[in-house]
Amino acid sequence: MLLGIIILHLIYLFARTVAFDHPPVTTVFEILSVLAFSVAVAYAFIERRSKSKETGYFILNIAFFFQLGSSLFIKDLLEVPQILRSSWFGLHVASALLGYAAITISAVYGFLYLMLYHQIKASNFGVIYKKLPNLETLEKMNFTAVTMAFGLLTLAIIVGFIWLQKTFSDYSLSDPKLIGTFIVWAVYGIGILAKKTGELKGRKVMLLSVTGFVIAVFSMTVINMFFSGFHKFN
Amino acid sequence: MNLVCIGISHHTAPLELREKLWYSNEEILAALPLLKAQGFTECVLFSTCNRTELYAYDANARVESLTQFFLKQKSVDGSIQPAHLFSYAGHAAVEHLFKVAAGIDSMIMGDVQILAQIKSGFSLANQSTTAGFFMNKLFQSAFHVGKRSRSETHISEGAISVSYAAVELAQHIFDDLRKKSALVIGAGDTAQLTAKHLKGKDIGNLFITNRTTERAEALAKMVGGHAIPFDTFSEKLSDIDIIISSVQSEQYVLNRTDIEKIIKNRHTSALFLIDIGVPRNIDPAAKNVDNVFLYDLDSLNVMVSENIEKRREEIPKIQSIIAEEVAELERWNSSLQATPTIAALNELIEHIRKEEVEKNINRFDSKDRELVELVTKRIVNKILHAPIVNLRNGHDDSKAEQQQKISLVRKLFGIDTTRKERSNGS
Repeated sequence: MLLGIIILHLIYLFARTVAFDHPPVTTVFEILSVLAFSVAVAYAFIERRSKSKETGYFILNIAFFFQLGSSLFIKDLLEVPQILRSSWFGLHVASALLGYAAITISAVYGFLYLMLYHQIKASNFGVIYKKLPNLETLEKMNFTAVTMAFGLLTLAIIVGFIWLQKTFSDYSLSDPKLIGTFIVWAVYGIGILAKKTGELKGRKVMLLSVTGFVIAVFSMTVINMFFSGFHKFN
Repeated sequence: MNLVCIGISHHTAPLELREKLWYSNEEILAALPLLKAQGFTECVLFSTCNRTELYAYDANARVESLTQFFLKQKSVDGSIQPAHLFSYAGHAAVEHLFKVAAGIDSMIMGDVQILAQIKSGFSLANQSTTAGFFMNKLFQSAFHVGKRSRSETHISEGAISVSYAAVELAQHIFDDLRKKSALVIGAGDTAQLTAKHLKGKDIGNLFITNRTTERAEALAKMVGGHAIPFDTFSEKLSDIDIIISSVQSEQYVLNRTDIEKIIKNRHTSALFLIDIGVPRNIDPAAKNVDNVFLYDLDSLNVMVSENIEKRREEIPKIQSIIAEEVAELERWNSSLQATPTIAALNELIEHIRKEEVEKNINRFDSKDRELVELVTKRIVNKILHAPIVNLRNGHDDSKAEQQQKISLVRKLFGIDTTRKERSNGS
């Protein structure tokens, strides 16, 4: 069923791209729909890898509310700046959004892990203890999401640079949004490295994952709202 | 319902008396034909460590004669008094069997083993041809009660022994126990049980260590693990995921510093420690180390008591399942009377006759119509004559044989299904 919905959503996004002649990532509500799609795709991948379905409720609810917000407020948009019609831009935004979706999912797993961890430690065997998969599975799911997020952000950054040099002559590497993205990318990179080398385990990895998410949200919202730079299009 | 049940259980007698009435499979196979020879046409006997129960079905089934047989067969001396036994008849006997099958009469509330033990007893009765028409229906209903109780309620959920609680907890921490290693320090009863449960969950590696090497080796052999020397077990600790400790020791076997070292040297995250020693074997401060899950007897006991309480809360649900199934069995039983079956058969055939006559009556001249009515009635009466006489004159048959005959007639003519269809249609 999830696969069916993902295919329908993909058809919708494709139809919108063709109808309005630009990738559907130019307004907040278009982006919300792509985010919903990205969360569902990333979750489907993780579910397939881990063969654990118990966490679908938590993740797919996020996708549902993103899409609900989009469906309620999205408008037909024919006039968009020429630079946003570029396919480099489309790839940059698509990989960044999929990356941020994976970050969101990793944070949910991190949060669930921490809740279950504290319940088991405190001998509190409530609903969470009964319904969630075991700690090790949550850790694996979190790591899959983090690895996906890191890979996709890397791609978004590389494509972004290529597009940047082709499109802008006045870009600045000290742009707050660029710095924010680099910090997020670095936090996840350090986390993966620390886990692989065994420096960080279990609870601390999850704390880092949730922290990474908070930084990502900060970089995407606060910086976007209060700072100006070339990386702003409307 | 001429069903009688007699038995001994943990409710009525201590173990030393229960074991005197314990029947092996061979003894059951020997006893059942003797019981049949005494006139009990259908009987089933099952025996577990907590109960031995005998069910007999016949028009002449009496508690007294069954009790005599029960005690004589095992040559029990005067140590077992009538007060050590329980007995039920009719409706109460059915209800009792259903309670046992549901696991709410067991020493361990919601016990799952008992259903398999009843099934084994029933299969022995089938082997010795003492489970006939009635017992078949009764025990199939009992198995249905057992199945429903486990699928529709939470009566068998949650560990209710310290050893199993520990293993259940491990499954909430680790993904695949087949890839994990466990170390049992000590060879006491609870350690043995925990080791057995871990092996039952296919733990990857199971190591056992004890101050007395022979005991470690004996336990390792029994559960299929590997014994390791007590002096050097600490060298293995960084490869271990689950440690169960239950030795008598004045000092901690593992202190916080040991645990911190283990955690540092481990590649994977969690370390699960179960301390069932008294006094405690593992420094309780280790609980505060990151990724260490330490449980002692008290915390496991809390878990067990909560689970027992939750199972008890399921009893009302089970009781209503039992009430439904008892009512269903009684409906089935009362349908197996000759007079209502004959009436139902007459009604069914008359209905068919009437329907067909009404459909085709216009094909006949009006002067012949009365004759058609008469002839069809005569044909039907003649066809039904022999079956009805045979059903009425079943006095020579045993109760079970007569009921079997009635049941067969009801099935062959589809009396119950046709009735239902007709009432749904109307």
